[in-house]
Amino acid sequence: MDAFNNFLAGTVTLFSDPVGILIFFGGVVGGMLFGAIPGVSMLTLAAILLPFTAHLSPEHGIMLFSVIYCTGVYGGAITAILFNIPGAPENAPTAFDGYPMTLNGEAGKAVGAAVMCSAIGGVASCIVMMAATAAIADWAISAFGPPEIFALVFFGLAVAASVGAKSFWKGWLSIMAGLMVAVVGLDPVGGIERYNFDMPYLAAGIHFIPTILGFFAVSEIFVQAEKKATGSYKAPKLSVDFPTFKELWQHKIAVIRSAIIGFFCGVLPGIGATLAAFMGYNEAVRWSKDREGFGKGKIEGVISSETANNAATGAAMIPLLALGLPGGALTAMMVGVFQMHDMEPGPLVFLNSPDLVWVVFAAMFFANLSILLVGFLEAKTIVNLLRIPFQYLAPLILLLATVGAYAVRGLTIDVVVMFVAGVAGFFLRRSGYSVAGIVLGLILGKIGEQTFAQAMQMLHFEFTGFFERPIALGLLIAGFITILASIYGAFFKKVPVSTPTADG
Amino acid sequence: MTIKKHLLNTTVALAMSAMAGHAAAECASDSLPASMEGAGGYPERALTMIVPYGPAGGSGQVAQAMAEAVTGLTDVSINRDHKPGGSGTVGMTAYMATPADGYTVLEHIDDAASAHALDSSKPNPAEDLIPLVTSQITFSQIYIREDEDRFTDWASFVEWVKAQDGKATIANVSKEGSMERVTMKFITDATGMQIQQISFDKGAPRYGALAGGQVDALFEQPGDVRKFLDAGKFKPILTILKESPDAFADVPNLTDAGLDFEPLLRFRGFYVKAGTPEDRVKWLQWAFQKAYCQEDYQAYNESKFMTLIESFRDTDGSKDLITETVAQYRDVYKEMGLEVK
Repeated sequence: MDAFNNFLAGTVTLFSDPVGILIFFGGVVGGMLFGAIPGVSMLTLAAILLPFTAHLSPEHGIMLFSVIYCTGVYGGAITAILFNIPGAPENAPTAFDGYPMTLNGEAGKAVGAAVMCSAIGGVASCIVMMAATAAIADWAISAFGPPEIFALVFFGLAVAASVGAKSFWKGWLSIMAGLMVAVVGLDPVGGIERYNFDMPYLAAGIHFIPTILGFFAVSEIFVQAEKKATGSYKAPKLSVDFPTFKELWQHKIAVIRSAIIGFFCGVLPGIGATLAAFMGYNEAVRWSKDREGFGKGKIEGVISSETANNAATGAAMIPLLALGLPGGALTAMMVGVFQMHDMEPGPLVFLNSPDLVWVVFAAMFFANLSILLVGFLEAKTIVNLLRIPFQYLAPLILLLATVGAYAVRGLTIDVVVMFVAGVAGFFLRRSGYSVAGIVLGLILGKIGEQTFAQAMQMLHFEFTGFFERPIALGLLIAGFITILASIYGAFFKKVPVSTPTADG
Repeated sequence: MTIKKHLLNTTVALAMSAMAGHAAAECASDSLPASMEGAGGYPERALTMIVPYGPAGGSGQVAQAMAEAVTGLTDVSINRDHKPGGSGTVGMTAYMATPADGYTVLEHIDDAASAHALDSSKPNPAEDLIPLVTSQITFSQIYIREDEDRFTDWASFVEWVKAQDGKATIANVSKEGSMERVTMKFITDATGMQIQQISFDKGAPRYGALAGGQVDALFEQPGDVRKFLDAGKFKPILTILKESPDAFADVPNLTDAGLDFEPLLRFRGFYVKAGTPEDRVKWLQWAFQKAYCQEDYQAYNESKFMTLIESFRDTDGSKDLITETVAQYRDVYKEMGLEVK
């Protein structure tokens, strides 16, 4: 009851102040726009705004960032669906089915599903966040050390490999290729240089954002350009038909499953919304009776990914606020906003500034709700971008992707990486490999390698140490069962186990 | 020949002589003129500051605080260009490729000195660069959880670690040749205890590891864990200095603990390329040193526990600090059997 009263108080504070309302809606629209424009992201907007938050009150500053966070994670879904360009890594799985839906003339349905499910996932995680921040934060850091996070990554990779590509071998080869790319650069523990061929810029490693832009956006342009040249290009049909309530209700289990997965991934420091979205999507495929349909424009794919990534936003605020531990780049910038006002997120925030915490909670709740309203309006208009002829759209997308790749770290090599990934993606997609698997291997490979090394140090270099940690053991066993099941399906059962995806 | 003999003639201890409690009233660069005209209208446009780390960490924050202080003082904008990766080598490489025209400056930390110590082909911050100011110098401590009951202080911690037969753990950044790893070697050599170091390159998971009980102790600088100290979650059990700063008068230092080695310090500063026209260097030195005393910058340093020991070095002081640090690391690396190039 206390939580509810605090929430009401936060709501009153938020909406009784005209400046607060203005900032709230500015954040909602800004997050959606920057999330939706490929090449820039909510991080770009946040970085631009960071210095200005010094002139805002702490409540307004933190509220602005948390609103941008919620709506930005949703905004990236729009371009993923319409153009196969995820606005951010966490929207990548949305493109797997969202873009084929656009090609099938169901863009409106896909966008509608993304709007609904982002809001549901976000609101659900906000409610849990409000109810039990401190307790969940303490549980997450004491139950999940490096061995558990490694085991989770292992499980995630096992699932991804078995659902990603046209065949068992191509699925695993795609994941392995991603893992191989992940080891370029300094090793995460000893700082030893690997595979950088004496090029200092490669020592920074291959970043996953230019890789995603290359594999998805650039290779898609090549694919479409080829079709254009061979005369088989068909402009996607425009539609603004939203999914009916009944259609969404059919997928209620997927929504609940993804909300739980998303929340769980978001609460772990350093994991966040990207893994949430991939895990949400993978699990949807794994539990589905119609695995073949995924990757060809199945609404459940969009639903699972978008519910999970927004569910991660509320969850990510838990370690940030309760412990001062940011889970990703945007939450790390929020630490900066706190510090500009001589505050530190962490246990003391609840004691010293409970009002601020509840204004933020209320703002996040309403930001997720407002995705529904503003999202529907935005979706009705933005779908019309599909009317732009390909010959004008393609160079624009390439330009934005190039800017986006460079903007990550200000390194030219990232632009090169993007185009190499684009060319590689063009050929890989033709031959049934999973570019999504490569991207996931790259993202999870970096987390997995680091946590494995840390786990081995913690367990005194004895593998048996994993057996003494029940959560890690459970996840490892689940991973092995997944692998065995996919081997069984691929070699002993007379039907193909894997499904082609959007990129297949 | 012991490591400490190599270190005896190094004077990182110079920070200790100016220990503690510097009020803003006697700020180090107050004597500089209140304004200065750059020669030939310099700077005619905004400066760029390359920061070899992300915006949220300690380097990103000090870069922002200093850039804002310089802009507040001079009205010259500074665009921060973050180029993280490779433990600072990516940003350094990018910086060395810029023209020496005084329009691009660099933020860097003591890692640049230790990188040069290990491999002399890497830029020497005291020679290939001109230090404009060193604006943060700090020390390390060892922390445990406040509610820890297996040990409560340094003596009981050492005793407990020894009883674990190498199975006790401490979270730090234990990259090869890092300040943390070298300091831990000093400590384990001196105490005879064996402790497993777990390397976390990002702050949040590192602090979470101690808070969540994944590790037994944490090696860190006080400014980075201030919120955990203020919240009563962590407590320091050893200050890695020969004398205790006032704020940590109750925490044993190296002398109290009977550990006889010269402490390595963490420092952050700002640089311009050697070869930059002298009059421009002069203006930059004035701007960055004067900005150090700006009220906002001082408040920032204070909030980060960066006023517990003297944090300021001008160009010559920074060169001395870097040169001594390089010599110190080089000797230690040779002792450790690392290949010094």
